[in-house]
This record gives sequence, structure tokens and C-alpha cells, in this order.
Amino acid sequence: MSEVREPGFDRIVALVLRWGAYGCFFIMLAGLLTGLFLHGQLPARIERAGVLLMLATPVVRVAVACFLFFHEKDWKYGTISLGVLTILLLGAVFGIGEH
Amino acid sequence: MLSLLLVVLGFFAGLLGALTGIGGGILLTPILALHFGIPIREAIGTSLVAVITTSAASSSVHLQRHTTDIRLGMTLELATSLGAAVTAYLVDYFNRNWLEGLFAAFLLYSSITILVRRGRIKDETPMPANGVVTIPPYEPQRYPLGLSASLVAGGLSGLLGIGGGPIKVPVMFIFMNVPLMVATATSNFMIGVTAAASALVYYRRGDILVELAAPLAVGVFLGSLLGARLAPRIHTKYVVYLLVAIMLYLAAHLAVHIFRGGLS
Repeated sequence: MSEVREPGFDRIVALVLRWGAYGCFFIMLAGLLTGLFLHGQLPARIERAGVLLMLATPVVRVAVACFLFFHEKDWKYGTISLGVLTILLLGAVFGIGEH
Repeated sequence: MLSLLLVVLGFFAGLLGALTGIGGGILLTPILALHFGIPIREAIGTSLVAVITTSAASSSVHLQRHTTDIRLGMTLELATSLGAAVTAYLVDYFNRNWLEGLFAAFLLYSSITILVRRGRIKDETPMPANGVVTIPPYEPQRYPLGLSASLVAGGLSGLLGIGGGPIKVPVMFIFMNVPLMVATATSNFMIGVTAAASALVYYRRGDILVELAAPLAVGVFLGSLLGARLAPRIHTKYVVYLLVAIMLYLAAHLAVHIFRGGLS
């Protein structure tokens, strides 16, 4: 089971992670650079967008893998991925002790 | 000015992390807390963002080499993300000195595993130039043990703002019978999701300092890209000693802080 490698599967998941990492890098860099020249809310907002995209990247990665498993009719690992996705989303929805 | 300093700090943490196979979080949380005077909970949340960045950047490389076991990773992520989310909720109930003591203990433990692993890596065949890796067939074993250890690793991740690689790799390699190369790649892969599970909770609570997290992540990203390129060419022996020295210094510094009455 585990020795079977699916190159296509790996490549798609790798793409999600790479786009997420590079995307966040450039957004955060843009935030830092605008912060050098501009004052006010804009740089902080750009940086926040970058951080949020970074937090979302692993969630998207799990969602994509979940979709791919179900697409391959791999019910067992599709369900496992769905479980991981649920835990992630519960953490995102129920923030407690906010200050 | 502070931003530039954080970019540089992130860069070196990312570089050291990529060269030695640990995430940057283990260095960033204590440095933020001890040297930047950031409350430990915010230091944890902020360093989690850098941990996710490292994991995303480096595991996309591992995935292309097809050394990641996505199925095994996803299964263990059930336990790591559950542990991470739960401790992220509960972190308020932990005494600050207790957290710092736990962190110091984890730094000591990680130093030992890094030194021990160095002896093992020498036996592994080096990465072939064309990037095609042949992995002997294997079947992960002892899932209950692996899942329990992953729950602990996830819990520590949510509590300390680290990736938890020094726990996941030995568990997969020694107990679950997974080849070291696959264990390393899969641990890296899992770290992003584990850290995200707790980071989302920290974010909702307002414990991620965006103005610090962004420059850190930028630096970490650049550092880990450079480190991943340098890793096959550079003699990592001295880098490992440097890393262990920094970790022991931070552990000692944390211990001193606890005895002096703790951080703010």
C-alpha cells in the first residue's frame, strides 16, 4: 500500500503548498516594502492578508487531498482527510478566550 | 528597523532549520520571548506562522522527490491536529513558568535527538544527483503507538509553537518501521497542518502578532530556500553543532528566567 507512489497526487499537493508559500512570501514582502514608504493601515492590512493566506494553505492542502482521495474512490483515506479538515475548521470557527 | 531585524532572524532560523532538518519554531519562540520581550503566548502564536511557512516550502520539495507518504501523514495528522488544537485552547491554563520549563526540556531533548540522528544519517546513501530516489518497500506498523505519540507531538506543538519533528521522525523511523528519508519528509509534511490547527486558534484569540509574523515569515522563507539548496553541498557537521549550541544556550536562558521569576 504505502510503497505505491502516485506521482500525479504528489505533484498536485506540492503545487498547492508551493503556490501558498510563494504567494504568502510575495504578499508579506509587499506589505513590508509598502510599510517603508507608506504610513497608515495599508501595510498592516497587506501583511495580515499574507498571514491569513499562510494559515489557509495547510487547510486547502488537506481539502485538496481529501477531494483527490474521494476522486480515486479511496474511501478510507478520504474519510481520514475529512476528519483532519473538520478539526482544522473547528479551530478556525470556535475561537475562545479572545481578547 | 525592527522588521529588518526580524527578517534577518527568520532568515537564520530558516537556514539552520533547512540545513539540519528541524523547523525554525524551536529557535523562534524562545528568541521572541527572551530577546524581544514578547509574552510567551504571543511568541508561540507568532512563531507558528513561521513554522507553517517552513513546512509548506520544504515539503513541496520533498513531495516532488516522492519521498512523502501522504497516507501515513494524513492518518497521523488526525492525532497531531487534534492534540495541537486542544492544547492551543488550553494554553491559558498553563502557568508561564511551566511552559518555559517544558520548552527548556524540549530543547534539551531535541539537542540529543539531533546529535544521535547525525550518527545515523551517515549510513544513509546520499541523494542521487538526478533527484530520483528509490525507497525500499515498507509497511507502516504499530499505528496505535504512532497515533498516541502523534497526539503528544501535536499537543506540544500547540503548547510551544514548534513543529514537533524531533518527536515525529523517531516515532515513525524506530516504532513504525518507516525509512528515515520517508519519516523526515512525512514529518515535514505533517508539520504545516499540525501548526495550522493551533495557529488558527491562536489567531482567533489575537495571539498572532501580524506585524512580527510577516517579517519573520519572509526571512524564514528565504532562509529555508537557500538552506535547501546548500544542504547537499555543505558539511552539515558544524552547522549541527552550532544549532545544538544555540539550543542549549536558549534552554539555559529559559531556566535562568524561570528562577528569576519568569517573563512578563
